[in-house]
This record gives sequence, C-alpha cells and structure tokens, in this order.
Amino acid sequence: MKQVTAAPGPGPSGRPKKQAASRSQRRPTLDRTLNRWGWAFVALSVILICVFVFVPMVQALIMSFQTGKGANVRFAGLLNYKRMLTDTTMRKALFNTIIYLIIQVPIMILFALFISILLNDKTLKGRSFFRVAIFLPCITSLVSYSLIMKNIFSNDGLFNQMLMGLGMEPILWTTDPIWAKVLIIVSITWRWTGYNMIFYLSGLQNIDPSIYEAADIDGANAFQKFTRMTVPLLKPIILFTTITSTIGTLQLFDEVKNITEGGPANGTVTISQYIYNLCFEYTPNFGYASAVAFLVVVLIVILSLVQMRLGGKENQ
Amino acid sequence: MKKRRILAALLSAAMVLSLAGCTKGGDDGASSSAGAGNSTSNKLTIWAWDDTFNVKAANIAKEYYAKINPDVQVNVVSMSQDDIVVKLNTAFESGNTSGLPNIVLIEDYRIQNYLQSYPDQLSDLSDVVDSSKFMDYKLKTMTKDGKIYGVPFDSGVACVFYRTDLIEQAGYKKEDMQDLTWQEFIEIGKKVKEKTGKAMLSLDPNDLGLIRMMMQSAGKWYVDEDGKADIKDNAALKEALTIYKQMQDAGITTTASGWDAGVAAVNSGKVASSVIGCWYASSIKKAEDQSGKWAIASFPRMSNVSKSVNASNLGGASWYVLEKVDGKNTAKEFLKSTFASNTELLDQLCKDVSLVSTYKEAANGANVSAADQFFSGQAIYKDFAAWTEKIPAVNYGVATYDVEKKMTEALQNVLKGTAVTDALKKVHTEVEGILSAVG
Amino acid sequence: MKKQNVCLTALKYVFLSILAFISIFPFVWMIISATNTAADVGQGKLTPGGELLTNLKNLFTSELGFGQALLNSAVIAVITTVLALLISSIAGYGFEIFRSKARDRVFSILLLSMMVPFCALMIPLYRMFSSIGQSGFTAFGLNSMFSVIVPLVSTAFLIFFFRQNTKSFPRDILEAARIDGLNELQIFFRMYVPVMKTTYAAGAIITFMNSWNNYLWPLVALQSPEKRTVPLVLSAMGSSYTPDYGMIMAGIVIATLPTGIIFFVMQKQFVAGMIGSVK
Repeated sequence: MKQVTAAPGPGPSGRPKKQAASRSQRRPTLDRTLNRWGWAFVALSVILICVFVFVPMVQALIMSFQTGKGANVRFAGLLNYKRMLTDTTMRKALFNTIIYLIIQVPIMILFALFISILLNDKTLKGRSFFRVAIFLPCITSLVSYSLIMKNIFSNDGLFNQMLMGLGMEPILWTTDPIWAKVLIIVSITWRWTGYNMIFYLSGLQNIDPSIYEAADIDGANAFQKFTRMTVPLLKPIILFTTITSTIGTLQLFDEVKNITEGGPANGTVTISQYIYNLCFEYTPNFGYASAVAFLVVVLIVILSLVQMRLGGKENQ
Repeated sequence: MKKRRILAALLSAAMVLSLAGCTKGGDDGASSSAGAGNSTSNKLTIWAWDDTFNVKAANIAKEYYAKINPDVQVNVVSMSQDDIVVKLNTAFESGNTSGLPNIVLIEDYRIQNYLQSYPDQLSDLSDVVDSSKFMDYKLKTMTKDGKIYGVPFDSGVACVFYRTDLIEQAGYKKEDMQDLTWQEFIEIGKKVKEKTGKAMLSLDPNDLGLIRMMMQSAGKWYVDEDGKADIKDNAALKEALTIYKQMQDAGITTTASGWDAGVAAVNSGKVASSVIGCWYASSIKKAEDQSGKWAIASFPRMSNVSKSVNASNLGGASWYVLEKVDGKNTAKEFLKSTFASNTELLDQLCKDVSLVSTYKEAANGANVSAADQFFSGQAIYKDFAAWTEKIPAVNYGVATYDVEKKMTEALQNVLKGTAVTDALKKVHTEVEGILSAVG
Repeated sequence: MKKQNVCLTALKYVFLSILAFISIFPFVWMIISATNTAADVGQGKLTPGGELLTNLKNLFTSELGFGQALLNSAVIAVITTVLALLISSIAGYGFEIFRSKARDRVFSILLLSMMVPFCALMIPLYRMFSSIGQSGFTAFGLNSMFSVIVPLVSTAFLIFFFRQNTKSFPRDILEAARIDGLNELQIFFRMYVPVMKTTYAAGAIITFMNSWNNYLWPLVALQSPEKRTVPLVLSAMGSSYTPDYGMIMAGIVIATLPTGIIFFVMQKQFVAGMIGSVK
C-alpha cells in the first residue's frame, strides 16, 4: 500500500514514460524554426482577442475616467473611482460576490471532481444516463429553473412544507438576506456542477488507465488513488476549472437577476448585476459602470495570480 | 529578437485600432444625426413589449391608420421591456441610432431619465398632443421645460381587486369596500384571515409598488417638484412604510417573490385581494373558474395624511418618437391620428385589450360603460375612468428605480423593527448621493 | 471485503440516483409544462396535460417568428463552434507545445480578456461594429452575422482549456512525427486532432452552448427582428403582463433540444482510456 507515494513529480520506473514526458514540458529554448511555428500557431487568436476584447477594454478604461451621457461626455479624472468609496450598494455587492466565491467555488469543484470520478468507472451501469442527467441542469433554461427554484423555496413552498412536516421552523429563503444567499449558492452549484464535470470527464480520458492498474497491483485503495494519482494528474484541468469558476462567480448575474432580483434589500446583489443595473436599470451611467468593472478586473487578476502561484508551485 | 518585434507590432496595432475606435466613437453621433435628414418615410417601425396588450394595441392602430394613409407601411415589433431599454441605452450612448424604431413605448417612471440624459434623442410632440384633452397627471410625466415629448397610452390607475365571496364570508358587503382608509382595509383583512384563513394580499419584498401608490395618493414621491430627494421629511412616505409594517404585523399578508408568484397567488385563490394597477385585470381573468367572484373598489387612502385621496397610479407607459431616425414626421402623423385623438380607436382598445385611457373623451365610449361579467357585472372601465381623473400629479424624477433599490433596504429595516424616521434618515443621505451622481 | 464492496456499490448507485433525480426534475417539469396551459404552469402543475399541440401551434404561428429564430441560432451556433474549435485549439496547442517565455507572457495577458464583465465592453464594441458598418462594410457591421460570430471564435477560455489538455498530449508522438518528416501543421491536424477527440467533444459542447444561449450581445448587435435568435424571441414572449407560459415552455423545450442532442452525441466520446487506445 505504502509504495504508491510519489505520484506528483516524475513518475517512478513502474509508470509509463508518457507520464514523465508530459510533466517535463519546460524547455529552456526552442530552435528558431519551432519558435516561428509557435507564433504562427497563436497569431490569429491573439489578434482576434486584441481587436475584440482588448481594444474595447482600453476604451472602457477611458470611459471609466469620464462622466456625462452620450455626446456630452467629459473627462472627470478619478471622480468615478472616488464615488466607489462611498457607494454602499457597491460595497454590499462586493461583499456578496466574495461570499459566493469563497463558499461556492470549492464546494462545486470538489463535488464535480467526485462525481466525474464515480462516472468514469467502467463497471458502472447506466453511466451514460447519469452523465446526461447530471449535465442537464446547465442546459435547462434559466426561465424554467428559476420558476421552479422560486416555487420550491418560496416561504410556503415545497421545501418549507417538508420542514414543517418534520416539525421544524420554515426557512425564509427569499426574505432573509442570509438564507437568500444560501439559495443562490445552492442554485449555482446545482446548475454548474455538471458543466465542470464535463471538463474533468474529458481530462480523465487523457489519463492512461494502465497507471491505475499498476496502483491496483501495489494495493492502493480508492482514496489513495484519488489523492495521489488522479488529483495530481488532473491538476491542469483543476486549475482551469478553478480559474474559470472564479471568474464565472465573480461575474455572477443570471441567478441573482432571475431568482432573487438582488433582494431582499440588495442582500444577494452581485457586482455584475450592479454593473448591469448601472447601465440598463438605473439612470444610465456607463462611466461609473466601467470603473466598477475595472475594480472587478483588478480583483480577479490578484485572485488568479494567487491561484496560478499555488497551482504552479506544487507542480515543480 | 524576432518575437519581440512581432509583439511590438501587435501591441502597436492594438493601440492604433483602439485610438481609431475611440475617435470614431466620439463623433459617430454627430455624423449619424446629420445624416438623418429625412423627416418622412413610407415605413414605420414601432417597438412595444406585450403581445396581448400594447403590441396588440399598436397593431389595431396600424389598421386604423391604413385607412387614413395606405401608403405607409407600419411594422410592430414585440420585445421585452428590459430589452428595449438595453437597446435604447446602447444606441443613445454610442450615438448610432440606425437600429432604432420610429416609435417606441417607454414606461412613465423612466421617461424623465431619458429626457434628461439624452436630451436630443426624442422628438418634441407638443404639436401632436392637445394638452387639454389628456389627464394632467399623465402629461406631467412626459413634460420637460414646458414641452410635451410623448403621447399617453395607458392609465395605471390603482384599485383594490377583491374576492366578493371571501369578503362576504368575513361578514362584509360590497358597500363596505368603497373608499376605504388603510386602517379599515387592515380590519377587513384581519376578519378575512380569521374567517377564511386566507391572506388579504401578497407582497413582493423586492417591489415597492404599494409604497409608490400610497405616496402618489398624497401627491408625493421619492423626489420633490425640483427633483431633490424627499425622503426623511416625507410624511406620506413615512405613513406608507408604517402601514406596510402594520399589515405585515397583523398577519394579513403572504410573500410572493416576483411577478409570476404574485399572479399564481391570485389565480390559485390564496389571497382575497390585490391592490395594484388596473392593467392587472387581465392577469386576474386568467383564472376562469373565479369568474363572477371578483369586484373592484377604489384605492384606499391614508387617513393620517391630509392630502391623501382614494386614487393613485401604478406604472403606465406612453409612445415616443425618435428624433434621429428617418421618418419622424410620418411617426408624428401616425400618433396624431391614432393614440392622440381617435376616440373610436380608444374605445375599441378598451374592448380588445382592456385599455384604460387617459384621454378624457375616451370615458364616453360605449365599451367603457359595458358591464364585465367576470367582475360580477360591474362596469369596471367606467370606475377606472372616474378614478383616473382624481389621480394626483407628481414628479417622478430621473431615478425612481435607483432610489427604490435603496428604499428596499429601508423597508427591510423597518420590518425588522427600526423606527421609520431613523430608517428614512439613513436612506436620505444615500439617495442624495445617487441623485447628485445622476445629475 | 466483498460485502463491503457490495455496500459501497449500492451506496454509489443510490447517491447517483438521488443526484440524477434532483438534476432532472426541473428539466422534466419543463417538458411537462409544455403540455399544460399557462394558468397550470403558473401554479406549478406536475402532471402532463393535453395542450402540447396548441402550445406548439401558438409558438410557430406567433408573429415573433420562432422558426426563423431557430434557423438563425442554428447557423450562428454551428459556424461559431466550428471556427472557435479550430482557431482556439490551434492557439492552445501552440502555447503549450512551443512554450517560450514570451508566449507564456502573451498567454497571461490573454487570460485578462476573460475578466471584464461583458456589460462594460458592450458600448465600445457596439461603436466598433457601428463604425465598420458606416465605413461601407455593412456585411461586417452591426446587424450582420459576422458581428455576433466573430467576437466568440477566439476566446481565452477555450484556448486555456485546450492548452491545459495539451499538457497530457504524449510528446513521443510529436517526436516520432517530426522524425517522419511531417511539418508542424501536419502534426497538428494528423496527430493531435484525432488523439484529442474527447477534448474537442467537450469544447464543442461548451462552445455550442455558449453561442446558442448568448444573449446580451446579439440583443444589441442584431437590429432587424427577422435576424433575432432564439433567446431573444423567448425573452420577448416572456415579457407580457400575461405571459403564455405553456407556449413559452414549448419554445424552451425546443430551444434546449439542440444542446441536449449535441451533448448526448458527444458524451459517447467520454470513454475511459481514449489516449491509451491510440497507437
């Protein structure tokens, strides 16, 4: 049992070479032809992203220093950024978003990983069915799922009737700011776990089954195989889902707009919804909305750097 | 070395593009407005948002107009109200109005916002609308600097829709429901709860429509005549919040989050009444099994606020003409001969889409005095028309929805036990902040 | 030992079944609702009714042009998916296989592009396409298919996804192919693409879904009503004060089918040990 230890890092002799190869990608230099190929491969994508994201981004940055509407805009320096300091709704939105992030992302990532490993078992009967079933939430239309969520979790809805049947106090899902946040977290986890599962499932296919066979011979149990082989081998994908889920949660919009409308009393409002409101619900203020957006960018950059560092360090 | 050169090239390309984009963006507005020289057109596009109501109304108006001017082709496009706002804001802000329609329906709460933020985008319709023929409260919402910018569409006159059977079980008659005060309303609610076990009405914690109606019944709003925050010394607002809390404390309400939940509560017979705008009649009528069990009464007044009357308003929208889209004069012609004057059309709309008009003469139409079987034979449109005349006029200001999001926080605090005055004081400063940022 | 295994397996099935039930329930309700009247849907009726045909008839005869919207959405989503998979996978492959400091840095910058909420980019993007259109290139300006497809074909998200998956691409295949005299492009198309089928399958599902459900940008970019996509039409239907939820649910079910089918077809690729089976 104890033999399966050094799964991270270059594999011991028992493991196939492919594994070792995929971990030693760091090449100090490439020769000139390969380097040229490298630029050729990435050029089109880089240009497209520059034109359709970075150019608008620079303009949005410029807008964030402006005030006024339509044709009457003028530069206002840091006015928009200063306004953020006293904006209590923004503070609430930021607080809520961060709460969602630190609670929801880890739960969802672990849950998705766990499910995908269960579903990757060749001996499991009805695998296709379970896969399709668990993926369904993310294609179920927002309209129908928010209607259902509101139905089930309304103050006299199914869930509370069950609680009362068990002799418990009903929970005020939509009117209590804390439970409303729980409701949002439950909803996004429900909707996006299957989505993240896809990435793990496809990542798991790229792992050579023979290394598990080797581990079986060594007598490793399921938990050891999971922590010492699957997790390290899936690390690139885990990093990917963590970063994309972080970004996704920081830009959370659909659920709050459709299920709680940001209420009660801005108790569930997110930064993204606030930005939308600033542009399209309230008196339009695109300059200020851009300023708030750039605050989010700075936040995400910091978070991603931290995640990359953590992910990267253990890789070496 | 090479890679550095390519990177540099890429970066500089991006810079050039971004600069080009910037300057382009800046003078776009000017060029497209200069280009829009054609004030007539043989094609008109109209945007509205409800297939069973205002879209249908526009289509009926289109048929009327076809008889007057068959050369003009009218195209009515239906999209959600949120989507219309997104498209208008994006186009106005960018200065490219090429994708916009000739005529658009805009909610009354939002219109001052557009008139202030994008002053040259909507046409002055003072020569289309005869101001003596429409209700003042309605015209006031779309007037800026003495000019009228819209053609009124529907009234949002507020009323109490109530279940006659449940009220009777509680020991009341129709006569007891007329011209109530809120205190009387709460007493009836308690009796209904006691006798039938049903809530008197459902409330949505995110929607302060009820507060808005109460304020307007006393001629007040979140802002005063000059658009300044009117929160902490607003007696009507204070009383409205107090009543809201009293209803909650009396246990006569139930919570329904969102529009659909509210409709479901009414249609499934969970509540005995609904205090809301007249346009809600169509939602109530969806429960065909409840036909004959409903009636309407005027909006309750606040007895502690001297100016409060038994009439108010919730929502409502009007038609606007886009100044910079080809064919603005054709659009004005269209509105002038339809929604701005045609009593025959307005009377048909009363029958076909349950329109309650704010055009004074429309109240004389044959369909307006017709009895409605769903509402136990009550001539509801006649009543709506009568109450509409009494609606106090208020200045909605530019930021109703911004302020209201803040107000939901005050309301929640009040419900949790904070004194109304303290809750309002706290919000007052924040609302002032919002209004100064908007202005 | 054996008994424990049986218990564990049973537990696994129970767990997955509960999960599957919770996941499917709203989907099934959506289908049931498509067979009911608006009033029943509003009250959350759980049994199928007989209104499906009426709802479908209302849906396709409504003036909003649901059929046309389906066609528009399908064309846009298919083109976007094909182009996005091609362009982004080449880049993801390039960033990983030809790693260099400079490209790593470019990649980090690309990741930044995922981080701005789209709302904030919309006005500049709108101005950009509006000026393209006004300079005479109407086929590439606002209201063109180009304007809704092209911002989605190269996304940092997809590049990142392909790059992370390329990390498990066996390098010995690469070396062998180079020795055989294939050039880098040939290696990509003949060696990499077939081996990475699963990754492409996952990428296809996600891209198709994102394009199919894309809302805010098509809303402002597409101006004429006949060019509207499915989500825009559904949104217009739902905005009524008295929405016909039976009809809307029928529309939603139909709108969900393509993504569902794509997933169902593609998920067959998720068979354990793809790579191992490739020689």
